[in-house]
Amino acid sequence: MTVLQEPVQAAVWQALNHYAYMDAVFLAERLYAEVGSEEALYLLATCYFRSGKAYKAYRLLKTHTCSTPQCRYLLAKCCVDLSKLAEGEQVLTGGVLNKQKSQDDIITEFGDSASFTLSLLGHIYCKTDRVAKGSECFQKSLNLNPFLWSPFQSLCHLGEKLDPDQVFRLSSLHIPVAPPPPISPAQNPSHRLDTALMETPQDTLELNRLNLESSNGKLTSDSTVSYIDSSLISPDPCSLLANTVSMGSTGSLLGKPNKPKSGRSLLGGPAALTLCLQSVSRIGPSKSVFGQSGNGREVLPIPFSQSQGSAPHSSTSPQVLSPTLVAPPNIQPRRSTRLFTSASSTAKENSKKLKMKFPTKIPNRKTKCKAAKTANSNLNESLDILKLDSSMNDSKGLSTPGYQSITLQRAATDMVLYMLRELGRGYQALCCYNCQEAISILSSVPAHHYNTGWVLTHIGRAYFELAEYTQAERVFSEVRRIEAYRVEGMEIYSTTLWHLQKDVALSALSKDLTDMDRLCPQAWCVAGNCFSLQQEHDIAIKFFQRAIQVDPGFAYAYTLLGHEFALTEELDRALACFRNAIRVNNRHYNAWYGLGMIYYKQEKFSLAEIHFKKALSINPQSSVMLCHIGVVQHALKKSDSALETLNRAIGIDPKNPLCKFHRASILFANDKYKAALQELEELKQIVPKESLVYFLIGKVYKKLGQTHLALMNFSWAMDLDPKGANNQIKEAIDKRYLPEDEEPVTEDFLYDSAADVEESSMTDADDSQLHTAESDDVL
Amino acid sequence: MATPSKTPPGADPKQLERTGTVREIGSQAVWSLSSCKPGFGVDQLRDDNLETYWQSDGSQPHLVNIQFRRKTTVKMLCIYADYKSDESYTPSKISVRVGNNFHNLQEVRVRTYTGPTSHIYPPKNSPIRTFMIQVAVLANHQNGRDTHMRQIKIYTPVEESSIGKFPRCTTVDFMMYRTIR
Repeated sequence: MTVLQEPVQAAVWQALNHYAYMDAVFLAERLYAEVGSEEALYLLATCYFRSGKAYKAYRLLKTHTCSTPQCRYLLAKCCVDLSKLAEGEQVLTGGVLNKQKSQDDIITEFGDSASFTLSLLGHIYCKTDRVAKGSECFQKSLNLNPFLWSPFQSLCHLGEKLDPDQVFRLSSLHIPVAPPPPISPAQNPSHRLDTALMETPQDTLELNRLNLESSNGKLTSDSTVSYIDSSLISPDPCSLLANTVSMGSTGSLLGKPNKPKSGRSLLGGPAALTLCLQSVSRIGPSKSVFGQSGNGREVLPIPFSQSQGSAPHSSTSPQVLSPTLVAPPNIQPRRSTRLFTSASSTAKENSKKLKMKFPTKIPNRKTKCKAAKTANSNLNESLDILKLDSSMNDSKGLSTPGYQSITLQRAATDMVLYMLRELGRGYQALCCYNCQEAISILSSVPAHHYNTGWVLTHIGRAYFELAEYTQAERVFSEVRRIEAYRVEGMEIYSTTLWHLQKDVALSALSKDLTDMDRLCPQAWCVAGNCFSLQQEHDIAIKFFQRAIQVDPGFAYAYTLLGHEFALTEELDRALACFRNAIRVNNRHYNAWYGLGMIYYKQEKFSLAEIHFKKALSINPQSSVMLCHIGVVQHALKKSDSALETLNRAIGIDPKNPLCKFHRASILFANDKYKAALQELEELKQIVPKESLVYFLIGKVYKKLGQTHLALMNFSWAMDLDPKGANNQIKEAIDKRYLPEDEEPVTEDFLYDSAADVEESSMTDADDSQLHTAESDDVL
Repeated sequence: MATPSKTPPGADPKQLERTGTVREIGSQAVWSLSSCKPGFGVDQLRDDNLETYWQSDGSQPHLVNIQFRRKTTVKMLCIYADYKSDESYTPSKISVRVGNNFHNLQEVRVRTYTGPTSHIYPPKNSPIRTFMIQVAVLANHQNGRDTHMRQIKIYTPVEESSIGKFPRCTTVDFMMYRTIR
């Protein structure tokens, strides 16, 4: 029956590669009905999952036993997507109640997909409140595969201080064995392997290329050893690579029966391997290795890889140790191809494995290879080696193209890792709220990377955290221009526009995003912000609740909802919302700030101070936060510490006018009138149109007894306040002794006269009353 | 919502809300009426639609009772009456009373209104803190018996800045730094 499988599997994979999910599903279902093997099961589940029906894949895999790592990984992924975290964990580690496997066991078991498995497991642990274990998993995952960004991102979110330089580098684990200079026959197999690997679509090639490059990174003499045991389900990527690498080196591939070997040790093994490369499909040792690692031992693949590994080793072991350019290139193709192709084409490998048994089927792969190869351009030179393999019987010497390709691959890998390091450092700085540093790091990446949505979004966010909203707005509008489809980070943009009170831009953004994607929480957050700016808080609340419905794991939606409830005076619900936000993300300092603000409103000042300090511990550079802490400390009668805090705030951000204002008010409250006046005079220069400043100056003068100056400033304050009805100002004026001996202005006087009443008319009347002595100068 | 023909310019309470100085808090209160015709009750009074109205069905004075869960600061009351469509049903003399419950209401204001369509604002001298407000229609135009009232909105002054006991900021520069969102 295996004869039947191969063409069908090939057809299924081809359909999947062309996103023709209905075809793929149909064929996979027929195949599974026919054969009923676990491979077919995995293939069918993959088809379901890729077509977006995770629940189908989940139920299918649940009802049938799946023992292979791929199946288990896919099942765990479905569980996580369906929010069945406990089940996912059980699938991966054996359950909460049973004895759990350690992470090393997992690494051993899953082989090449260990890095993804560990990343998934880390995600599960973090969501279930076991942060320490989660971060451990993420670390291990990064160790195994430095090209994964999501574990790094998760670790940054948890607040871990990683060193991107250490993370994004090829460790010895990844260094493939340096095979000796390629010998044509030997190379052929290896190339074939690579090509076989290359059969996967372009992205795989990309990966391969990266792999190659990464493998360039670390070739150690060590590498020669151990690749040979393809039969091993070794989780060790190196070993896999070694196998592939070794291919290149020697021509004599000995086919070797399964040779259980662990890790690198193999030197002797290769000899035993018989070379059936030519006959065997090129699936390449890496693939076969994968297959093996995934599915246990396969005889055919093993010999293939092993032979490849062994042959080079045996023949070139002395050479291996010398790190020549040649060696790395050979290794690189393998390694990268292995590393990455395995990731993407494990299933394919499975199928390929089968194919290996039937060399005649190779033409399928060849075509795929060719297609894949032709797709690549540049770095494909390095992959030329692989291309050469396209013809099974092609046994050109690969040394020359090999060198070039390898150098190119190495260069590309280095480039990629360099980019990852730089972006990693910038992201890390941003997560620790070292915003200036983050901006400088991210701005110094090459221009073609700088002008991408991701980089600009994070720079914009850094400006936002620094409260430099105009800069942030500029950067975000650039993002919108470049990548109009980007939704991540748009909620920050909307809040920036909210702060700047740019309602037109905000409503345009809201309309655009909600039209584009109704299922993303960011779009609803933007819509909510838009209505909040229009003071329509009930509608804003509705939209924020919608954002939460769409994605209950989006912390910022809870925070914004909390703010809206606070604005509508529903403080209990606001508290609940902020607490929810903290539940989702402990380091969401906005939510801690929100809690502090609610407690301040309820006049529970010490609680407020505690929460503000917690928020400050997460984001130590926020001048607004320090300003608030200062005010709270003043309310707690700790005026000295309040002043100190405010001084710190002004030191961090001299442009923050509110810090100066509050400092002036504290000085005023402590009867230090001269200092307060001085502060306020400075503030007048910075923000000349702010009525509050004049109001406070007026109060200071009133206390000092200079009534005419006080009146002058009060009237300026009233003038500058267009909405009028500022009761406090009017009260302040009313209490004054007015030289004209007039009655206090009342509203009755105004309203009795007309049926229609305008707010502003009152202000005018007031002004006319006060108008006697003061000048009418308005700034 | 107010249709353009019915709302005189500048008198729209929604505009008032948009200034951010007041907030509509009718949703936090319990509303009751002294009498109403079936289908013309509280819902029609509070549905944001000027086409629907409350029609009373008893003897004068007709009362609208607004009770809050907690003592609330009330700044302004907006009543919409339309002489053109309601004629003799339009209220002409309205008395506003506040207190803790039905038994200790005190009259705060009495107003006589003549004239065309408008929103009527019987504002108070300064915001009043109260548990209950009663709006009484003492007389209608042309001595009509029952009254139509199309909409009532009740406003509270918006709490000033989120921090400090100061009044609102007026410039964007200040407001930007006021809060972390």
